[in-house]
Amino acid sequence: MSMADATANSHAVEGARPLRDALIAYRRNKPALLGMLLLSAIIAFVIYGTFFFKGDPYEIVWAPQTPPGTDAAVPLGTDYLGRDIMRGLLKGGGPTLAVGAAAAIITLVIGISLGGIAGFFGGWIDDLLMRVTEFFQVLPALLFAMVVITLFSPSTLTTAIAIGVVLWPQTARLTRAEFLKIRELEYVTAARSIGARNGRIMWKVILPNALPPLVVSATLTVGVAILFQAGLSFLGLDDPNTMSWGLMIGTNRQYILDAWWPVTFPGIAIFLTVFAVSLVGDGLNDAFNPKLRGR
Amino acid sequence: MTEPLLSIRDLKVEFSTRNGRVTALDGIDLDLMPGETLGIVGESGCGKSITALATMGLIPDPPGRIAGGRILFDGEDITHADARRLRSLRGADISMIFQEPMTSLNPVFTAGDQIAEAIMLHQQLGRAEANRKAVELLRTVGIPEPERRARSFPHELSGGMRQRVMIAMAISCRPRVLIADEPTTALDVTVQAQIFDLMRDIQKEFGVAIMLITHDMGAIAEMADRVAVMYAGRIVEKGSADAILDNPLHPYTRGLIDCIPVLGKAAGEQGRMPPLAEIPGVVPPLHLLGQGCAFADRCPLAFDRCRIETPILDGRSHGVACFATEMEAV
Repeated sequence: MSMADATANSHAVEGARPLRDALIAYRRNKPALLGMLLLSAIIAFVIYGTFFFKGDPYEIVWAPQTPPGTDAAVPLGTDYLGRDIMRGLLKGGGPTLAVGAAAAIITLVIGISLGGIAGFFGGWIDDLLMRVTEFFQVLPALLFAMVVITLFSPSTLTTAIAIGVVLWPQTARLTRAEFLKIRELEYVTAARSIGARNGRIMWKVILPNALPPLVVSATLTVGVAILFQAGLSFLGLDDPNTMSWGLMIGTNRQYILDAWWPVTFPGIAIFLTVFAVSLVGDGLNDAFNPKLRGR
Repeated sequence: MTEPLLSIRDLKVEFSTRNGRVTALDGIDLDLMPGETLGIVGESGCGKSITALATMGLIPDPPGRIAGGRILFDGEDITHADARRLRSLRGADISMIFQEPMTSLNPVFTAGDQIAEAIMLHQQLGRAEANRKAVELLRTVGIPEPERRARSFPHELSGGMRQRVMIAMAISCRPRVLIADEPTTALDVTVQAQIFDLMRDIQKEFGVAIMLITHDMGAIAEMADRVAVMYAGRIVEKGSADAILDNPLHPYTRGLIDCIPVLGKAAGEQGRMPPLAEIPGVVPPLHLLGQGCAFADRCPLAFDRCRIETPILDGRSHGVACFATEMEAV
């Protein structure tokens, strides 16, 4: 018997403490641990940049398009105006992560509410809500987000809202599918048979069982939202007065053939963030699903 | 004579399906007396579970609906009671145990949590008090080390233990009626006996009336005071358990009893067991039910009249709905 088996058995005998068990399961999961470390490092970097680093990312500090490694003052080089890439990364991380997180939360709230109601009640409610969802889904996403942003003035908040409003249909459909599947299971009938009301069955019986795919989808949404913001900045629709990784890529894209570094470093930052968030999401899913634990 | 606690009168349940509207229950009459065990027997698809769900007000609507008849609980007509009234009955006055203990517990909450939830739905109790009661209930249903087991997730428990947890949930608010829908079908034979013992103990202690739904005549022999035999949405024979087991009248009931394997029966003479009896054929699909007795096509005693007229359950204490046995009696 391996060590892992022994631990799993002893915890079955002791009975479960969900949070502690989830933590133990998470610590055993190497990719998830790597994701957590990476994400912590990125967040520490961004916190330092946002709250402790005093430099202005818009300030012209060196010769334009200085390659990385030329001088210790500008370790990652400068962009086409001579602005420090490192400062951009430090100052631009906060808005980038904030937009990603806020958009994911908006997506989850709208998607779970509508998808849950549609899947649980079925019938005409389902039809109505799904037609609404499809209406949002068939709108070209980027175009729709652009409309939302131009309706209001561009700011970090409008960007987050625009992305959330564009991305929720997927979460709604996923939630609906999970609810449709789970509401037919016997423990839902059992919950009814002890006198639980609909609201309780939806949120306390079905939702916890539907969460694993939703958690994963939410972490993916964080990634998609960050990429989306990069896309909007690229098109010049993000707030130009708020530095973000996407904005850096957007403003420097024209010069990519002359200088690769002003777009590559923010690109790597976005990639690492999305990668870390996905690993964490996957790990959380495994850790909080008691049946997947200890595999 | 005491009043029945639960009384079902001429209950009709219909489902709309692809094959049109079918009658799943066609005029069921049942009485459940306080503290007794009523067995409902029949093969799959006879309407046993629908009877149970109808009593709980849990017929999925659509596609199903109660098309006629009445369900009286303690004299109150609950056939078309509103959702609020039904919720206050479910779990508190009438509760139910399901067939599959593997799937009828919520996999993401611990056993203790789920019992505590059931308690808090009907009683004004705090979380801590409800948890304490949940552990107490686990002890009542014979789970060793209840404090520890209360913190176990369903997948960490054996099938028998899960069924005990379901029973603990079902009796948490001291219901007067317990509907057990094939409570032991998914369990090992030895565990079955334990669960039946537990149900008997609980009945003795709490005075709960049990409606035991099963396809197993052995379970009926062990548990039931009175029996109703169902076939294709109707009751074909009804009476005391002793009367039905010793003197089955309906050919279907006789068939079911012959299907019980008896250990050592007739094995001595030639050193070989006779083949186990079976009832040929299957329960007809509901949409193909036509005129006459639904059992006629599988019945060894069927004659012309059986295929034209539908026999009615006679009103005697041991009643049967069969023309052939009526003839025998005459």
